[in-house]
Amino acid sequence: MKKRVSVAPFDLLRGLKDAVPIILAYFPLSITYGVLATARGIPAWACDLSSVVMFAGAAQFMLVSLYTAGTNPLSMVATLLLVNLRHVLYGTSIGPAFARWEEKHKWVAAFGLTDEVYALTGSQALEAPPTPAYQFALAFSSYLSWVAGTVLGASVGGAVPAAVASALGFALPALFLSLLFNQARHRSQIVAAATGAAVAVLAQVAGLPSFGVVTGAVAGATVGLALATTDVRDHQSWARDDRTRLRRERAWQRGSE
Amino acid sequence: MDPHILHQFIPVAVAVGVGTYLIRSLSLVWGSRLAWPAWLRQWLAFVTPAVLGALLGPALLLPDGHLVLPWHNPALLAAIPTAAVAWYSRNLLFTVLAGVVFYAAAGYLI
Repeated sequence: MKKRVSVAPFDLLRGLKDAVPIILAYFPLSITYGVLATARGIPAWACDLSSVVMFAGAAQFMLVSLYTAGTNPLSMVATLLLVNLRHVLYGTSIGPAFARWEEKHKWVAAFGLTDEVYALTGSQALEAPPTPAYQFALAFSSYLSWVAGTVLGASVGGAVPAAVASALGFALPALFLSLLFNQARHRSQIVAAATGAAVAVLAQVAGLPSFGVVTGAVAGATVGLALATTDVRDHQSWARDDRTRLRRERAWQRGSE
Repeated sequence: MDPHILHQFIPVAVAVGVGTYLIRSLSLVWGSRLAWPAWLRQWLAFVTPAVLGALLGPALLLPDGHLVLPWHNPALLAAIPTAAVAWYSRNLLFTVLAGVVFYAAAGYLI
């Protein structure tokens, strides 16, 4: 195959250009996070620090709601890491496109592999496996937008009227609904979500809210997988997705040989 | 300042930050080297909707920790049009903005 010649400054610019929609989406979302967290009594510096070390939007919103609900710290960590376990899928599925990279570059790029960065990288890696310069520009400009928005939101948080802060509280369920229905298009995935919801509600009614998310996730995933492997129609819709994924992975492997 | 910030919020944020980074980096490094068993990847694919369901269920049905009737529950009422927007738009920011507006409207109507 023909040798891919990559010019770093050009790749940097291309990465920045592709990052624009993510930067535009992260900025208001992280402002919302800053406003919401400070409205619930978290000091601005702690809120800023959480964005610097976590860079995981859904988990951060969840941290604020679990923290204000007085959840035990260990179950907070377990719940939030379970939420972020979906990132295992991202790394393993786009990994082949990074096969030719130097090891240290992979460790740097992984920090910025959020839902949106993954979605963008995954959709383009078929045509052209990303270069480090491209990927770093994409991931770290998105990171800057996330941190800058948080700092801004946290610093104006106190000035936001209570009614507005209360309405912004629904940003979190809305974000979850969006993440859910962006991906869950098969019947088995909807059943997995419904099972998770039912188990978590029962756990809370039974007075065990800390266990709800973990048990709900494990039960929901297992029921979803069982349904996907037994339900013929669901199986067919997954098989279609699998063929697309296989084609993509083969193309990446060819590209990295 | 609330001591829980130093003793709970910050340590949890740092632990989850480090853990998330390890999940992202180890899966990328391993994913670039070896193939994972198909059943494990498929099970992991179901963890995401299941976790989201488990977070949404109590947030929508038990807003203050106890059952609230649907017509007195703005979160549940707002979730229906928000879910429709999420399904059809597939746009994170747009769905969040629509959701906040629906929630404010539901709170005003109730």
